[in-house]
Amino acid sequence: MRDTTRPLPFAAAARGVFDLTLDGMVFSRRSLLMGLLVAAPVAFAVLYRVLAATRGQAPLGPADLYALMAAVYWIRNVLPLAALFYATSLVADEVEGKTLTYLLTRPLTRAAIFAGKFAAYVATTFTLALPAAVVTFFILMTAPSAPPLATALADLPRDLGVMLLTLVAYGALFGLLGVLLKRPVIPGLVFLYGWELLANVPGYLPRFTLTAWLRSLVPYRPAEDGLAGLFQQVLPADQALAVLIFVSLALVAAAAWIFSSREYVLDQ
Amino acid sequence: MTRSRLVFFAAMTVVVVGVAAGVGALWLSPARAAVGPLAGEALILPADAKFVMGFDVKRFAASPFYERFKAQRGMQPAALEDLEAKTGLNPARDLDQIVVAGTGVKGAGVAVALGHFDLYKLGRAIEASGKAQGTSYEGVTVYNFSEESKQPLSLALVDESTLVLGPTDQVTQALASRTRGETPLKTNAALMARVEKIQPGSTFWMVGDQSLLASLPTSIPGPGGSAGGGSLALPSLVGLTVTGDLDPQVSIAVTGEARDAAAAKNLADVVRGLVAMASLQAAQKPELQQLASAVSVATDENRVLVSARIPYETLDALQPKRPQAVQSTPEPAPTVR
Repeated sequence: MRDTTRPLPFAAAARGVFDLTLDGMVFSRRSLLMGLLVAAPVAFAVLYRVLAATRGQAPLGPADLYALMAAVYWIRNVLPLAALFYATSLVADEVEGKTLTYLLTRPLTRAAIFAGKFAAYVATTFTLALPAAVVTFFILMTAPSAPPLATALADLPRDLGVMLLTLVAYGALFGLLGVLLKRPVIPGLVFLYGWELLANVPGYLPRFTLTAWLRSLVPYRPAEDGLAGLFQQVLPADQALAVLIFVSLALVAAAAWIFSSREYVLDQ
Repeated sequence: MTRSRLVFFAAMTVVVVGVAAGVGALWLSPARAAVGPLAGEALILPADAKFVMGFDVKRFAASPFYERFKAQRGMQPAALEDLEAKTGLNPARDLDQIVVAGTGVKGAGVAVALGHFDLYKLGRAIEASGKAQGTSYEGVTVYNFSEESKQPLSLALVDESTLVLGPTDQVTQALASRTRGETPLKTNAALMARVEKIQPGSTFWMVGDQSLLASLPTSIPGPGGSAGGGSLALPSLVGLTVTGDLDPQVSIAVTGEARDAAAAKNLADVVRGLVAMASLQAAQKPELQQLASAVSVATDENRVLVSARIPYETLDALQPKRPQAVQSTPEPAPTVR
């Protein structure tokens, strides 16, 4: 018989919360919307192939289009947005729905609850984003004017890894915002489209953004209009990996600790 | 298993299949003997080369660049012109790839041409022209072109997919390496390290080491030109890599390796300044604004990365316009009374 005076072991508790949260996250309206957003490049890729076959020369090569989607659409924009809308609501949804009490009265540590929810967020966004990237890759890279598929395929595991790291890093940050603030979405948007622009300035400031480290892990450098493209910095890849992993772990740990120690008073 | 877990595992299966295909392609690729885009057959080139360049003839001939500019003079590189003039070989039809290795801008390089060749027809065409003498070296037919004013050249018909063209001594050296199963170019660690970083699939690529780059200018005129305005010293490069593609637009990526991060930053600043100055000329030439927008400059420790993507419309706009011919009106015939 289990000692009922003590909470469930961390792993078992987190797995239970993961299962419960995953069901609610994957089959939700938010996932449908995010799924459409994340998978839009698949439709663009199909459209590109159709137009290239019927109208001939396209203004952009298939490899360049894939690079644009990977580096600009997913890594710089859509995946951080997905992280914002999912990770900020990990705890906020429970608070708003007044179901947090039921969760907290179970024999589960709060850290295990947060870890289970964060794992469910990663699994959900993984389910939405990475298959779309694989399908887009194969649609574009099998085009007649694409580079040899055998050589291009070697880049795919790296791109998927960077996308996963994007989800984890931004998810950790926005998860922390979610447990700290009552309304975390606006500050999250300000961070994404304000602070992260520092990645484009010269000097040491890009090191204080997540996007500068993430874009250093992929070799795609799409040209940008005006003078913004002149000041891109490529940070060392090994440093980028270490920084992103460390920051993600630190932010998740901080969020779990704050969730564990904070008192939630639900509106009646 | 819950429905959500089923969806998650289905997604993971798609991703794992993609990753496995990637790893498998890397492992099973028939081009593993190659170094980056450099075909294995080209590794017989000399080890003391200061530069190596590759040219994907098939991609080039299929590009809009070839279609637009093939009628213009000086379109084909010297190696191709030499080959066609001497052997009647149609490069666009018969060649897949050309790799040239040399010791300097002025010195002749030796080229390896890969493609599909009818050796009998080729040999007959060369013998019929009377410009070359055929011999055999290490079991390979070699034709020696001796022209008094130039360095003697040789063309070796290695097999139905490989030709070697260049100065006679370098061609025989390459054939000897091939017979012994050696790959001398692979021992040139400085060049090979740069070649390995090039993505296969580029239409053209070139890598050069420090000894080649020593002949590049070390300064450019400063503001005010030569009239007392001084000059800007350029940081010296220790390595250079250029890759490019011509379809669907002209894409060029140049990676210059400087001595240290500070030198790279200085060089990048010079390039940025030049691009910005071009942008400022947009009032007189709007197409320069497009050109400036197409260039991006980045630094990565001691490397400067310059990439440009130029649409053909911009290139057309930058072409010098020919003056229209003035039509003279005929003088009216004199009336006879």
